[in-house]
Amino acid sequence: MGMKVDNDKQVAASNDLISAIQAEFTDEGVTCELRFHAGGKQKRPYVFIECPPEIWLIVAETLSEVHGVDYCSMITGIHWPEKVPEMEWQVVVHLMRMSIQNPKSKDGMLIPTITDASIVQGATMPLELEISIAIPETRTPSIPSVQHIWVGADWNEKETWDLVGIDFDGHKEMRRVLQPHETPAGFHPLQKQHKLRYHEFNEMYDDAQGFMRKSDDIGKVK
Amino acid sequence: MAEMWISMGPQHPMTHGLWTLKVKIDGETIVDTIPDLGYIHRGVEKICEARDFTQITPYCDRLCYASANTWSHSYVYAAENLLEVEVPERAEYIRLIAVELQRIASHLMWLGAYCPDIGNLTAFVYCLREREMMLDLLQELGGSRMHYNFPRIGGVKRDLPHGFAMRCRAKVKLFLERIHEYEALLDESTIFLIRTQGVGYAKPEEMVNHGVTGPNLRAGGVNYDVRWAHPYSVYDELDWTPSVERSSVKGADCYDRYRVRLDEMKTSASLVLQALDGIPGGADTYHEPGDPALLGKAPSRASDGQTGFHHFEDPRGESLFYIVGGGDARGKNPYRVSIRSPMFITIPYAAKCMIGYKIADVPAIMGSFDPCIGETDR
Repeated sequence: MGMKVDNDKQVAASNDLISAIQAEFTDEGVTCELRFHAGGKQKRPYVFIECPPEIWLIVAETLSEVHGVDYCSMITGIHWPEKVPEMEWQVVVHLMRMSIQNPKSKDGMLIPTITDASIVQGATMPLELEISIAIPETRTPSIPSVQHIWVGADWNEKETWDLVGIDFDGHKEMRRVLQPHETPAGFHPLQKQHKLRYHEFNEMYDDAQGFMRKSDDIGKVK
Repeated sequence: MAEMWISMGPQHPMTHGLWTLKVKIDGETIVDTIPDLGYIHRGVEKICEARDFTQITPYCDRLCYASANTWSHSYVYAAENLLEVEVPERAEYIRLIAVELQRIASHLMWLGAYCPDIGNLTAFVYCLREREMMLDLLQELGGSRMHYNFPRIGGVKRDLPHGFAMRCRAKVKLFLERIHEYEALLDESTIFLIRTQGVGYAKPEEMVNHGVTGPNLRAGGVNYDVRWAHPYSVYDELDWTPSVERSSVKGADCYDRYRVRLDEMKTSASLVLQALDGIPGGADTYHEPGDPALLGKAPSRASDGQTGFHHFEDPRGESLFYIVGGGDARGKNPYRVSIRSPMFITIPYAAKCMIGYKIADVPAIMGSFDPCIGETDR
């Protein structure tokens, strides 16, 4: 009962996409596998792709044009100082296939596309994709921008550069979005060398105002 | 005539929060816009790296002041994917009730804030009257009126209280009656129609490419909803269809976005009523907090390399939490939490939408996308 996409059909559609990507890109070092969300009642599938930064643009274009992946959900970056040298930076991209067409029109009004979830299949099946791009040790990490493929990636890339410091080649008008415009160049707060300075657990709860703090503690905690 | 830039915000009735929209006008026509965000950036993602998994839930409540419950649920689902937690079915039903009540309250808050923007102050009072009922119900569940901290990793904080089902049914049914008052008030108000119809067209395919989802997309005649495309919780066990609006060929205008939200409130109300009927164990039984029917067992640590994410249908679009485990305190903290805010992606698109319209249309177009700056700036 209810409107839903069948899990088995989604697995089959994901496998189709995986075999197509593997056939095309295995030589370039792209690995692709089917994964399942671990929590919840339904173990929903998603496609996991590992892609070297050099061919990310080609993979993205193929996904968009051939496989109908039409929606970029999120682009985010992670700083891994402990994984130097093979992966100091990681860019994680979440894409979705929505299979949206502009609805047909009649007499100047759109006819809503009420998709019956029981009949969507094959290339129109909604899919989740996760793409991991590892960038080796460098002081100026960058990958190609996909802003021209999915315009929704634009502000995600701005945010990733602003907070994590991973640059996107070919991105138009890269600028600070969440931090103030006058933030010093090279300051990206989600990099791991910026530590959060918090009270130790006991101090936080027993003596929040710091009345009992000894003089030699001052300056050590915030 | 010479073009000039006008800065709307950070304090401006149009903004619904704290941000700036720089508008370039030629006479009265908008020719270019630049949104400027980040005024209330709190660094939630960085704060989360120094908190353990249960401590993060209240922070996620505070991402959005209009729909706190959906954000904490969004986080909890992602954390459950990370920590591999099974949730009892009764807890899933209670969560669904809480989320859908919050969705109604959020849409009512939107309508209540939108109507005064475009010259209909009366609707504000009507909407807050009904929102009050929803907040009363949420208060019974979570104990507070704005930031509930209701879900737990693995379940929910408390069971439905005694008599909740009766009061909830009565209030939701009363609300379904009163929706007709909005329709009478707004759909027959000439001012409202003039300000919203034919303003701010948005094409469906363009919206998908720009990352706009949720009611804003469904207003364009496209039936896409995470709740059926990637079903989570128990949405696949209830009988419902997402509300889709018949828009014109030019795309969805502000009026369509208003209609689809009004319709979605009805869908949410029917989901709540169905969930109260279908909840395993019955809506009138009560379990103590921490009962296995309410709270599954969840580990407190995640090992290196574990990741979890979850797409969630927020009242404003698709929200996404991506969590990497294996952080400080030997895995008790996440290594990285990344939040996808639907409005962060929608606001640039909404700003593009208004190019070509008059400067007086800015509040009508911007408000119709339902901006919430708390989640945008994080």
